[in-house]
Amino acid sequence: MRVPVSWLRDYVAMDMSLTELATKLSIASAEIEGIETRGVADEGGNLGLFRIGKVVEAIKHPNADRLQLTKVDLGEAEPRSIVCGAWNFGVGATVAVALPGATLPARPGLPDGLTLERRKVRGEISDGMILAEDEIGLGADHEGIMVFPEIEPGTPLADVVPLSDKVLLVEATGNRPDLQSIYGVAREIAAIYDLDLAEAPGQFPVGTPGGPVKIQVDDYERCSRYVGTIVQGVTIGHAPLIMKARLLGAGMRPISNVVDITNYVMLTLGSPLHAFDLATLSGGGINVRRAGDGEKLTTLDGVERALTADDLVIADDARAVALAGIMGGAETEVSADTHTILLEAANFESHGVFRSSERHRLRSEASSRFEKGVDPQLADQAARWATELIVEFAGGTWTSWNDVHAGLPGRPFVEFRPERSDAVIGVETPADEQFRILGKLGFEQRGEGVVVPSWRARDVTREIDVVEEIARFRLEEVPFTLPQRREMFGVLTREQQLRRRLEDALVGLGFAETYTPSLRPDDETTWKLPEPISVDLTALRTTILPSLVEAVARNIDAGAKNIALFEVARVYLSGDGDLPTERVRVAGIVEGGFSRAKGVAETIYAALKAEPEFARGEHRLLHPGKAATTGAGIVGELHPRELDGEWGAFELDLEDLFAASREPITYTDVITYPAVRQDIAVVVAEDVAAGDIVAAARAAAGAELREIRVFDVYRGEQLGEGKKSVAFSVAYQADDRTLNDEDATRLRDAIVNALATEFSAELRA
Amino acid sequence: MTDTPDWNAYEAEAAAAAQSAASSDELEEARVRFLGRKSDIALGLREVRDRETGMLLNGVRTRLEETFDTRAARLADDELDRRLREEIVDVTLPGDELPLGHLHPITQIRRMVEDAFLGLGYEVRDDREVETVEYNFDKLAFLPTHSARSPRDTFFFDPNHVLRTETSPSQIHIMEEKEPPLYMVSIGRVYRRDAITATRYPIFHQFEGLAVDRGLTLADLKGTLLHVMRALYGPERKVRFRTHYFPFTEPSIEPDVSCGICGGSGCRTCKYSGWIEMGGAGMVDPTVLANVGLDPEEWSGFAFGCGLERTAQLRHDIPDIRALWEGDLRVLRQF
Ligand SMILES: [Zn+2]
Repeated sequence: MRVPVSWLRDYVAMDMSLTELATKLSIASAEIEGIETRGVADEGGNLGLFRIGKVVEAIKHPNADRLQLTKVDLGEAEPRSIVCGAWNFGVGATVAVALPGATLPARPGLPDGLTLERRKVRGEISDGMILAEDEIGLGADHEGIMVFPEIEPGTPLADVVPLSDKVLLVEATGNRPDLQSIYGVAREIAAIYDLDLAEAPGQFPVGTPGGPVKIQVDDYERCSRYVGTIVQGVTIGHAPLIMKARLLGAGMRPISNVVDITNYVMLTLGSPLHAFDLATLSGGGINVRRAGDGEKLTTLDGVERALTADDLVIADDARAVALAGIMGGAETEVSADTHTILLEAANFESHGVFRSSERHRLRSEASSRFEKGVDPQLADQAARWATELIVEFAGGTWTSWNDVHAGLPGRPFVEFRPERSDAVIGVETPADEQFRILGKLGFEQRGEGVVVPSWRARDVTREIDVVEEIARFRLEEVPFTLPQRREMFGVLTREQQLRRRLEDALVGLGFAETYTPSLRPDDETTWKLPEPISVDLTALRTTILPSLVEAVARNIDAGAKNIALFEVARVYLSGDGDLPTERVRVAGIVEGGFSRAKGVAETIYAALKAEPEFARGEHRLLHPGKAATTGAGIVGELHPRELDGEWGAFELDLEDLFAASREPITYTDVITYPAVRQDIAVVVAEDVAAGDIVAAARAAAGAELREIRVFDVYRGEQLGEGKKSVAFSVAYQADDRTLNDEDATRLRDAIVNALATEFSAELRA
Repeated sequence: MTDTPDWNAYEAEAAAAAQSAASSDELEEARVRFLGRKSDIALGLREVRDRETGMLLNGVRTRLEETFDTRAARLADDELDRRLREEIVDVTLPGDELPLGHLHPITQIRRMVEDAFLGLGYEVRDDREVETVEYNFDKLAFLPTHSARSPRDTFFFDPNHVLRTETSPSQIHIMEEKEPPLYMVSIGRVYRRDAITATRYPIFHQFEGLAVDRGLTLADLKGTLLHVMRALYGPERKVRFRTHYFPFTEPSIEPDVSCGICGGSGCRTCKYSGWIEMGGAGMVDPTVLANVGLDPEEWSGFAFGCGLERTAQLRHDIPDIRALWEGDLRVLRQF
């Protein structure tokens, strides 16, 4: 909410700096998002250049038919010549004048404001400017220059009109509808600084008339209270300058005295009002009811709206005349010809207003207040004060009053222990100080607790809510302590440690980690959003690789070299229960083919102290002949249709990887009895897999075979068609003795014999 | 017996040859000539018959060997010096290009957060991202009318399942799993229906802390956040609290950290306030404790949440959050 500071001063006398005030309010009440200037800038003596003047001479400009040439007495030795384009005044008029050097408020196209100069207009000196309302931010119209009653020439204009003001931008949280009002903000300031708060206007009946207003409420759930008053014989015109200036400061456009008064009272107290032209209401009364499905209403903004049975409307005998709590109707609005008004101050239920407001995509100052919940106790106060102001500024007679409701809520009592505040906040606040703060906020101490003010009754219902009222006034004094822990210590779990090791291993291999969205346009999953915000973010992914393919493609387009990307993220698989099974995976893509990818996978396993078990596999993104499973996922060469060139890819499940990890490692003594190393080469048929040869060798040689790795595969004419030579290095080792040549021969023979039996392998070397 | 050579002249000639050798190769040539198997002195020694001649020749040979060794050492030194003088490289040329990868900035911050909390004795966890309405809202005391329950703000799969909107359901999960005292930080992805802009992305990361123990206070929360903010942003930072509203904490606050760009005097980054909003926090609402069967008179707690992307943006001055999601190596390789 935009809060003009001069308005606050009606209720609380302040002398602190606005910057300090903004900080204190931000900490204790609601965030102050900024401080703006309304009207004329009060800097560098600018304000003093705006004065009251008396027109002592006014003739037509000799060289321009549409201009007046005037002499204006500004209390100086000589009157000043000023050229003016307006004709709504003449000799003797008291007017507002800006002198050369004065800077006017910013306006569209002139963000820094126009700075006046003494200059010639069509050959005649103009030594200042006679002002219209809109030129100094006091109104919206440019109907002519302002004419005042008799005032001493030379009087500073700022003494006569609200020439300049500051505006606080208050961003209240959803639990504080009371801060959607000037008076509510003033109450907070009075509490923070322990200042006196003026009585709220309109609280006490002043000659309330007895004449009835025809009001029928059909739905008390949606409209808990409806206060109506009637004022006869009003004259529609302008609101007072100060009211218009403040409305402009609060971000509302002045319209007419009656409408401006309803807005002014709403902004002051926080309870919205609406004025109908009584003559336009068929039957002369009000019916609060649900709309019929398809019923039509043209709102003040000129839009015809089709209503539903969930919309609450204000109706007359014939039709809906307002969308309750949101906006009035165009046919019953106050116009220049209005003589009698029916003023509404009602209380509408928040969710209903919210639903209608959403359905019709229509927000207003009123609906934004009702959505958060308006104190029902305010309606009669707002109605009374607005009626008084209308009688004062628009004339007429207050003839009728009615207050319809089905019982108003009482003020809740909440048990409260001041020592509980200290225990929660961690800083001591004397009990009498706590009750002083609460008193300033409208809470009444009673017995073992407090009675909550009506404007906080929705939010404060428990002791802890009262504690918060104390806490927010003590936030700056809260010290910095740490919990006195006795039973906790912090350590990463085995899985969290291994995850870091995995990430670090990939970084060591030159991979850059990336993050891609968990939602995809195209995944084959049952977990799809029925209402996505974009087609790209629709389905929870079941695999990470497609996102990485896209990231790699973007990098290729950007001309990147040595591309290697990985991501650790979740996939969301169909589960047994009603939730998906979420698994964390590591996926990567790297320049190079199958061998590169497999090398990366082997290094990942080695870093995690785990053994992969490779077997032929398949994946829709991988080359069908170059894909393997590892026991924890897949590794292979990217399918050629995915990206140009050869790319290695892998996607492995972290839980499976970590389950295979031998961490923590048990030490093996490989120093005392050194290993014996050999190379063996055998010739086998082309279709024998290297992995099968290794497995057979391991089985044949037993525990003394400690290492075996294929290092060469050779094909040549001398081997014959369909044959290949597979060379591998082995290391034999025992725990209790150094193996000798006989042992080595025995183990080698066992391996060679087994390979001969299983694969008809012939020893080559 | 042939003519006896003049061994003094021989020694003088050999010594002169050694001294005049300009390289190791020349010296080796001279050594073969004067001391080799077929040299005069080798032949002479083979034919020695008398002790006197033997002593003479051995003396000549020993002295010449010393001369040659000395000269050889000198030449080797000279040649090494020359080589070292010649072997000068342009040290400003680049070295071999070795692979070096990069952790994503979010991961780096995630680890900093984890380490800061491990130091405070917290456990680290993460929970499911697809949540039930019960855990994402109900048990966290969101009012039935809270706007976050609307499909306008939250991704719903069906009326009972959402993508979690914050890491706060972890509070409920851990309180249901374990008895207090509890100290945990939960870090992971969360989802909101925000349009994609420079500062918002519908998927982002949060860390969420929870402490439940006897006698915890708002002051403990303040001290904890000060520690963490200093771990993330540096030891000079200050922390303040502002009142706020969240469904599952009471009192609720927003912590601010002092602006690192201006040091608190006000600048564009901190909107001239000297402070930067860091997230949300507060004392665990008694309703939440009661929802998991804890007695709010005995147990108290505090909780806080903070965005990792926002932390990364502030820490690294990244103007557009989308850069963190696009996998562009030009971005990733900076970190
Ligand atoms: Zn700053």
